[in-house]
Amino acid sequence: MTLHGFVVRNALRNRRRMLLTMLSVGASMFLLVTLLVALRELTNPPTGIGASLRIAVPSKVSLATELPARQRPILEKLPGVRAVTPLTWFGGRLNGEESFNLPQFGIDARYFREVFAEAILSEADWTAWMASRTACIAGKDVAERYKLKVGDRIRIQGDIYPVDLELTLAAVYGIDGAAAADSIFFHHEYFDEAMGNPGTVGMWWVLAESAEVVPGLIDRINATFANSSAEVRAETERAFQLGFISMLANLKLLIGSICAVVVFTLGLVTASTMSMAIRERFRELSILKAVGFRRRDLFAFILAESFGLSLAGGMLGAGAAVGLYSSPLVTKFSKGFFPIFEVTPQIIGTALFVAATLGILASLMPALSVMRLSVVEGLRALD
Amino acid sequence: MSSEALVQVRGLRKVYRQGEIDVAALAGIDLDIHAGEFLALMGPSGSGKSTLLHLIAGIDRPSAGSCHVGGVDVATLGQSELAGWRNRNVGFIFQSFNLIPVLSALENVEMPLLLTGLSHARRRELATLALDLVGLGDRARHLPRQLSGGQEQRVAIARALVTDPALVVADEPTGNLDSHSAQEVLGILGALNRDAGRTIIMVTHDPKAAASATRIVHLEKGELSP
Repeated sequence: MTLHGFVVRNALRNRRRMLLTMLSVGASMFLLVTLLVALRELTNPPTGIGASLRIAVPSKVSLATELPARQRPILEKLPGVRAVTPLTWFGGRLNGEESFNLPQFGIDARYFREVFAEAILSEADWTAWMASRTACIAGKDVAERYKLKVGDRIRIQGDIYPVDLELTLAAVYGIDGAAAADSIFFHHEYFDEAMGNPGTVGMWWVLAESAEVVPGLIDRINATFANSSAEVRAETERAFQLGFISMLANLKLLIGSICAVVVFTLGLVTASTMSMAIRERFRELSILKAVGFRRRDLFAFILAESFGLSLAGGMLGAGAAVGLYSSPLVTKFSKGFFPIFEVTPQIIGTALFVAATLGILASLMPALSVMRLSVVEGLRALD
Repeated sequence: MSSEALVQVRGLRKVYRQGEIDVAALAGIDLDIHAGEFLALMGPSGSGKSTLLHLIAGIDRPSAGSCHVGGVDVATLGQSELAGWRNRNVGFIFQSFNLIPVLSALENVEMPLLLTGLSHARRRELATLALDLVGLGDRARHLPRQLSGGQEQRVAIARALVTDPALVVADEPTGNLDSHSAQEVLGILGALNRDAGRTIIMVTHDPKAAASATRIVHLEKGELSP
């Protein structure tokens, strides 16, 4: 027998309690990992192939404020600009659905593949899309969810705009990488006609010639329309997406608070379990003291047991999270809201660190009480 | 100081505080115990016999006086030194056996040896030898709950002997046993004293148990009685 073996035997002595403790730590760590992953998903927008070159140009007033279409030629003439496309959020209901369920955008289809380079759309599919003004393309996730196939008629009822769009699915696109292809794109020109050519767009997306010119180009775009009737706020794609996140208000704080409660509760559970486990062993621990084990030896036994149980529970919870979230079911059940639910090594590390730290902290009180306990007092303790 | 005495107790006092009242468990004891003696400490409950045993064994601290064991004043040792000293010099036998329930008989006996730095094989060898000595070689893999009370106490005796201590202390070793098992345990202790020259100090209420000893000391209200 070894000292390590002794610690393991003690940890296993009450298997039901050990199992329940591990499960409670595991469940807490699963929840913690879930919250951390959700937080990451909300605060770290995915970056595609062309993300470093793309510049979002919405109105300086608000995202809901439209921009004049006449800005386009001005934008196209700015040095460093490779392509410009309007992008208008339609926000309608698909095929008579009761509520909005997926993003739909009007776009200049000629530049779709260039500006959104991570989209996978073959030349033939793109040509098919270009062939008809009422043609549209749908992401493969949309096509799977709604069981759409090329040639299907799609009706999008406008909620924001007072028009309905009658579209024909020309092709299904994919996305290079883990991001979901969860949108429908249609010709902006068709939308303009349906709206009676109002001469406005939702926003512009500008593709820069290189990443180096992006900062200067952003300044030039903003300066070009400064003091005009339609001022813009050009920014990188990442900054633009983070702007969306800021709309989530205190969600980050809320999730952080839930994480703190989870950790605190876990600490109480583990401390309570360890206290019970040690209290019923006072007599044995006193015998160990009597036969020569030092206080620091007993402290190490208790610490190792608590640390091991918590860490095992943490591994269980984090492992379950990795197993579940690496499955495509998450994207399916979140209807694409969480296209990627990636449990990063950093998140796993955080969960295991929290579990191990709490294991250590939970053992401190019972360990200190055992250290303080005299052999004689311990021998008097009830079994 | 007598050169032959293994244990020399001088003016040993132990006072417990119970609320606002000081209770003297030992009121200044002087006692010599020689190497090779089998001493029985007798007396009514609360007479201080277990307290005296605990002080000699170094698991409690005296309020005053000294207690030399093998020339070492155990009252002056620090916590860590005292733990090491107990491991090397004292073997414990308790009334409730106090075996570790998750360890086999052999592993229980081996436990004190984990602190000695001996190899795993050597520890196993010594633990097996000690179990054989108490006649439980064939029960080495049994857990305490699979043993009778008498067998558990014999395992506890093996655990007390395995480090080859100078002193074996036994606190009511037959208190939880039936008469047959008690006789077995007393027989083993007697043989250890007689044949192996072990120094044994045993606390007991039972005159029959005390009869196994080579000397009987009575305590009464914290003092030695004639």
